[in-house]
Amino acid sequence: MSFGDFLLKNLQQFWELTGFANAEIGNFIMILVGLIFIYLAIKRNFEPMLLVPIGFGILIGNVPFNTTAGLEIGIYEQGSVLNILYNGVSAGWYPPLIFLGIGAMTDFSALIANPKLMLIGAAAQFGIFGAYMVALALGFAPDQAGAIAIIGGADGPTAIFLSSKLAPNLMGAIAVSAYSYMALVPLIQPPLMRLFTTKKERLIRMRPARAVSQNEKIIFPIVGMLLTCFVVPSGLPLLGMLFFGNLLRECGVTNRLAKTASNALTDIVTILLGMTVGASTQASQFLTLQTIFIFFLGFMAFVIASSSGVLFVKLFNLVLPKDKKINPLIGNAGVSAVPMSARISNNLGLEYDPSNYLLMHAMGPNVAGVIGSAVAAGVLLGFLA
Amino acid sequence: MKRKLFLTAIFVAAAVSIVSAQSRKALRVNEVMVENESSIIDDYGEHHGWIELFNSNFAPLEISSIYITNDKHDPKKYPVPLGDVNTRIAKRQHVVFFADGQPDKGTFHTNFVLEPGKENWIGIYDADGVTLIDEVTIPASLTADNSYARSVDGAGEWGVRDGGEAYITPSSANVIRDTNNKIEEFAERDANGFGMTVMAMCIVFSALLLLCLCFYGIGKIGASVSRLNKMRAHGVEKHDVEKGEIVHDSGEEIAAIVMALHDHLNAHDTENAVLTINKVKRAYSPWSSKIYGLREVPGVNHRH
Repeated sequence: MSFGDFLLKNLQQFWELTGFANAEIGNFIMILVGLIFIYLAIKRNFEPMLLVPIGFGILIGNVPFNTTAGLEIGIYEQGSVLNILYNGVSAGWYPPLIFLGIGAMTDFSALIANPKLMLIGAAAQFGIFGAYMVALALGFAPDQAGAIAIIGGADGPTAIFLSSKLAPNLMGAIAVSAYSYMALVPLIQPPLMRLFTTKKERLIRMRPARAVSQNEKIIFPIVGMLLTCFVVPSGLPLLGMLFFGNLLRECGVTNRLAKTASNALTDIVTILLGMTVGASTQASQFLTLQTIFIFFLGFMAFVIASSSGVLFVKLFNLVLPKDKKINPLIGNAGVSAVPMSARISNNLGLEYDPSNYLLMHAMGPNVAGVIGSAVAAGVLLGFLA
Repeated sequence: MKRKLFLTAIFVAAAVSIVSAQSRKALRVNEVMVENESSIIDDYGEHHGWIELFNSNFAPLEISSIYITNDKHDPKKYPVPLGDVNTRIAKRQHVVFFADGQPDKGTFHTNFVLEPGKENWIGIYDADGVTLIDEVTIPASLTADNSYARSVDGAGEWGVRDGGEAYITPSSANVIRDTNNKIEEFAERDANGFGMTVMAMCIVFSALLLLCLCFYGIGKIGASVSRLNKMRAHGVEKHDVEKGEIVHDSGEEIAAIVMALHDHLNAHDTENAVLTINKVKRAYSPWSSKIYGLREVPGVNHRH
């Protein structure tokens, strides 16, 4: 073999390893999807903290390479760096860490001051089970239907946790769908809220919430964890960490831990979670008819969840005294897209009455939605795992 | 300080021993063959009676130093040797001991044999040689190549298996499942998902209703305690309140009184005092932070 042949042979081998030689149309479609995510995040400000890592993860996961070369670079190749990082998603331990951070960030005062708002958070979980019924009708098996339906909880970590247990093969599509619709909550919810409420109802003023003592705030995570986990032990990984994070925040003697949980730890896990979820959407795994169904079901779940929250408040108002009526505009906040859906309630309320601030009232069902969706995930896990 | 450390050490040791004890309690005698003529062979190609143990935990279980015995008066008859990696049973998995009376052949060969035609009692004891973890008495009627097994792994009734429709399953599950029964049942009995919806929503509502009621109660108790504390601080007795001497300390009420005085009397009080303005400390929440807006309301980014 001449030196020229030697060079040519090696260059040819190198060409076979490049992305250009291994690219398929699916890779380019997914790269385009990743770019759209990044565009929406940077230029349109749609959930940038989530869509930038997911969008870039989609780019990483869809750079084509020779899968038979044994390079150990793909996210699904055991032992690769991406595979190691992906373990937090596939084994389901990133979501509880995110929940720890959510607990450490969340002020449950609105809920403690007005506990009946918890029921709105429960009602919004109809979205999950409505989507479950539709998913069954579309031919999904019950465990797959449960994993897809949890998108209606509007809670990314919960969706990832449950799908990693019930339908690992659908997890990428479920996670991307859940986060996409969470980013689109400002577009999905307001029309539904207007549709199901009258102008008079939108003007309802709610009484200011009472002050909540520190003791109550400390008791809440302890009692909350014990009660909900005794009812649904399968929700322990999520609910346990959520309430633990909240205790760190409220007890007053673990400020450093609470600060780390709510800032550094959450940021680190969000980066890893977002990036690896994005990278898990390799075209060969992601571009299927099932993915289209999952996106459709996710949309259904969000619509049902938001609508049921609003309609439940209207129903609830029928039995409440006149001075204790609830503004149905906070019903949408029962889905746990925290705090986006509460802000939407507030913004819409201000649109109809510039002095009617609903934010704190909406935070009640909003954080109840987090608890409710974790309980619902625990129920699905208990029934279907 | 030393005392605290000592107490902590005792607590940790107790906790570890409790955890260890709890996990070993999950070990089960799962299936036994007394007379083996044509069933499995050991590493030496020989047929012997065997005892299958099952780890009913959902975590690995180390069984070295436990005892297996066929004599109630000698609970420490066969100690499972230390130092063999194979004595760590994976979650929900099995391990088989050959009852050949030849412990020199390896870890999984006991120093006793099972006797055909007689009742054989088998017990497993924890490392203390006192705590009985599990036991079973094999009936004398058990014939050659039949096993005596639990109906499901780690639980259920014991019964004879003849290798026909009732499988003999050394080192594997007593019930061979190729599907998830729960899923099958839901698919068959609740094809439209209505049952799941009703059950699950009832559970979700119950959990949150329970929490709701609990915090109504805690709120009421908190308010009563707070009112009593205020009354004590103001030196007001309960009967004074009943007479109408209610403690006024609401900020809104005070503000209203001050406004009224200002409007009607144009009254100001002048005092020689130093006014210090302190920053009001509030619990920081990144949810409401403008700097770290985790999820800002989407819109067009205006760059200046």
